[in-house]
Amino acid sequence: MDKTLRFTLDGRPIEARLGETVLEAATRAGVMIPHYCWHQALGNPGNCRMCIVEVEGAAKPQVSCRLPAREGLVVRSISPAARRAQCSALEFHLVDHPLDCPVCDQSGECGLQDYYMDIGRYKSAMREDKAHAGKRLALGPHIMLDQERCIMCTRCTRFVGQVSKSHELGIFGRGHRQAVDLVPGRALDNPYSGNLADICPVGALTDRDFRFQVRVWYLDSTESICPGCSRGCNIFVHTSTRRPWQNQGRRLARLKPRFSPEVNGHWICDEGRYGFLDFDSKRLGRVMRLKPVSEELSWDRAAQEVAAALRRKPVEGLAVAASGALSNEDWLAFKELFVDTLQARRFLFAPEPDQAGTEDQLLRRREKTPNLEGGKALGFGTKIESLGWDSLAGDIEAGKVWGLYVIDRDPAQAWGGRSRELLERLDLLIYQGPRQCLAGELAHYRLPATAWLEEEGHFTNFQGNVQGYQRALQPLGAAKPDWAIFADLERRLKP
Amino acid sequence: MAMTVRPVSRPRRGLLEQSYLWEVARGLGVTFRHFFINLARHCLRLAGLRAEPGAVTIQYPDEPAVLGRRARTRHRLLRRPDGSPRCTACLLCETICPARCIRITAEESPDPAVEKRAKTFDIDLGMCVFCGHCVEACPVDAIHMDADQVELAAYSRGDMIWDMPALMRDTK
Amino acid sequence: MILLAWTAVKVGYALAFGLGLAGFLGWVERKQSAVAQDRIGANRAQIFGWRLIGLFHPIADGIKLITKEDFVPARALRPFHALAPALSLGCCLLCLAALPFGGTVEVFGRVWSLQPFESRVGLVYVLAFLALGVHGVVMAGYVSGSNYGLLGGLRGAAQMVAYEVCMAAILAAPMFLYGTLDLQEAVLAQGGYWGGWLPTWGVFRQPLAFVLYLVAGTAASKRIPFDLPEGEAEIVGYHVEYSGMKFGMFMISDFVENIVVCGLGATLFLGGWGIPFVSLAGAWGGLLMLASFAVKTCALLFLLMQVRWTLPRFRVDQLLDLGWKSVLPLALLNFLATVWGAWLWR
Repeated sequence: MDKTLRFTLDGRPIEARLGETVLEAATRAGVMIPHYCWHQALGNPGNCRMCIVEVEGAAKPQVSCRLPAREGLVVRSISPAARRAQCSALEFHLVDHPLDCPVCDQSGECGLQDYYMDIGRYKSAMREDKAHAGKRLALGPHIMLDQERCIMCTRCTRFVGQVSKSHELGIFGRGHRQAVDLVPGRALDNPYSGNLADICPVGALTDRDFRFQVRVWYLDSTESICPGCSRGCNIFVHTSTRRPWQNQGRRLARLKPRFSPEVNGHWICDEGRYGFLDFDSKRLGRVMRLKPVSEELSWDRAAQEVAAALRRKPVEGLAVAASGALSNEDWLAFKELFVDTLQARRFLFAPEPDQAGTEDQLLRRREKTPNLEGGKALGFGTKIESLGWDSLAGDIEAGKVWGLYVIDRDPAQAWGGRSRELLERLDLLIYQGPRQCLAGELAHYRLPATAWLEEEGHFTNFQGNVQGYQRALQPLGAAKPDWAIFADLERRLKP
Repeated sequence: MAMTVRPVSRPRRGLLEQSYLWEVARGLGVTFRHFFINLARHCLRLAGLRAEPGAVTIQYPDEPAVLGRRARTRHRLLRRPDGSPRCTACLLCETICPARCIRITAEESPDPAVEKRAKTFDIDLGMCVFCGHCVEACPVDAIHMDADQVELAAYSRGDMIWDMPALMRDTK
Repeated sequence: MILLAWTAVKVGYALAFGLGLAGFLGWVERKQSAVAQDRIGANRAQIFGWRLIGLFHPIADGIKLITKEDFVPARALRPFHALAPALSLGCCLLCLAALPFGGTVEVFGRVWSLQPFESRVGLVYVLAFLALGVHGVVMAGYVSGSNYGLLGGLRGAAQMVAYEVCMAAILAAPMFLYGTLDLQEAVLAQGGYWGGWLPTWGVFRQPLAFVLYLVAGTAASKRIPFDLPEGEAEIVGYHVEYSGMKFGMFMISDFVENIVVCGLGATLFLGGWGIPFVSLAGAWGGLLMLASFAVKTCALLFLLMQVRWTLPRFRVDQLLDLGWKSVLPLALLNFLATVWGAWLWR
């Protein structure tokens, strides 16, 4: 299998592995041959005819996605004959395409637009009326279908057949009445349906969440890691900050999968994809002391007061509740502050029992926090055991715990109706996190931290892969990364 | 493009030009001619004898401004035959606008044939540079700059922002 | 006693003539340029809806200048800053005194002279005070504490000194012919006729001197195309740090200088108050003299105003070249030729 073949593409030598097609080898070598139906993970039905190339010695042009690479093959993809063939294929695709780019969410990242600009036949020979079909069909909670825009590449039906294995979609009819549609009685509600909007090369399948929110050319893309579970899927974060009035004023527009052969392949799940779109809601940006006197503080003053408060009573009575959303950098500063400097004993970092989500064979994991593994590397979960919420509640009621430092967690999720009473019992409650919650309302000190997209850092996924994420957005207000807050406190608490 | 030096010879001036006097006299001839012809026209007009004006001045705030046929004036949003706005909120005008004075938000249209329409369409005429790119960019011919309105002053920046109903009003 | 009162009347007339005409010139300047350039010109000032072809604009200007903030820069020398415009205006107003607005008339059995200040050396007096005006310009530029003002003042000094010299050289020739420095006698000397029909005016006896005089006079009164000391819009001049009525005084002194130059030109080249073929005597004769002088002065003003709106400004080196290398040598040659010609003629 390791045998390497050499062939020539447009005068350029390309190396291919045995069994690879010309299109695969070319794509791996960075040469783009136009294509719609072929997808690395979905096979090559060869029905779009866009990847057609001229092969020396062959009587007719060949589709490169079904042309196995052979030693010494001479292939031309940009020769006039190849271009003419691709151009004709594109003209056929556009026969019934409505050309409603102005209202189409795909425009700007559409395969039809891209290839039309490159190789399109600008005057179509088509003189008949366009065939009409279903528009604006909601297939499921996330995906909208426009049958007129579809070019019958069958990527979507292959996806539901091979990847999600849920088989909701099929091709119905023949000729120009042929259309993609739901299998009768089904809805497109599999947990990976969002990927269909990514793989559809045209505007036939689009995101309902993203529909008409913002044009794609306003977006900025940043490499990041999905914090939805311990899988740590590689993603692109698309942010809309250039035109603040677009996207309903939200800065985060959408998440897109980023190819990673070890972790997530080409896909991400819908929970991750749509779970973070309310990123900007209930955000904290001001450093506050709420009790006894409510006042906005500078970071300097707040760190001074918090450091003094943490030392006020014996450290045995201080509990620290952290979440698995801390980055590796945060975990280290966390350990240096609370374990090494303060020598606190009571830690809580295990996920709430009922927070555990569904798990499947493809991507989703039970632990819905991205970085418990990073804490484990520093001893949290191995040397240091996590308390449970119930035992912590018991300790508070018994008066054994006087202070609680909460980092981006909401005790109300575990304690329910008891939580207000329990939290008010504490002599010191510090809440540090990006979002408002009950602990933030009742806290003595509320420290705003940046959220995942506003800082850079690393998550370690359940396989032990350490993966970095970049900063996509500016922090809000005075918010600082968790590690910076910990380090500031540590500097003041060090003897 | 390579820069080249092209020598331009100075005009040769004879004694007549250099003495200035003849040229000054010729110049004075031009201005005196205008002066007396215009003065005569003013007087005749004042006396009601001839209507030829002595000046080309347009007394602008009193008389209406004369706009060129292709002058770019205030924007105007066009309607479909049924009265709904033509705009499909494709945002191409907002994208092309060099002054970033157009702000559009889109929404779902109840008409499935239209699909997308503008929820809000604001033009900040205080920022607009009247380049006309938005008109060129529009794929559905929804925006024109021919409202023939050039008096757009307002008492606040906020009043310079025209919203969709205002831009669709007094459609020609 | 009567003599004193009569002198006061004459001085009052001279001041009214100079300042009234100066105010009027502001309107003329606007309207004449507008008409020559196919425009309408300032016509917005109105009283009760009356616009009177913009004649209220000088009044509006005056009110504006008087009520405007009188701004003095922190680095200016205050007393001199105030003195400069007064000096400028004072000098050119004093020039008016020696102009022969009329000759002598016999009314009520007495001989009345219509010249406010009768002097054997009237011309020298006028030239002297015109030349003194440069002090106001240089002072204004120097005490303003502004580099632009200083540069303007220096340009003014260079220009005005150059053209005062020229003026004296130019006027030497006609005065030689008239045989006097008394302006009244110069007018009388132009009272004859050649061939019984052509008045022996200076302009016919000394055409080159007349042209040179207009050039030098324009330059001496800092009018376009020789307005380098001021250059309000572009190069800014000696009065850049002045505002309100002090600036107004510079403006007025410019106009008055212009009037003096034109009045002197009318006296020396256009026969002064004389009217050809009309014998002027009695009270009506006196009024005709005044009118004749005023009309001739205004005609010259009109001509210079038209020149102002026709020509572009000279560059400073061109200006000084023209003065020292062309006007002055030509004036001296003209004087020599005149003297030689007169000797031959005899």
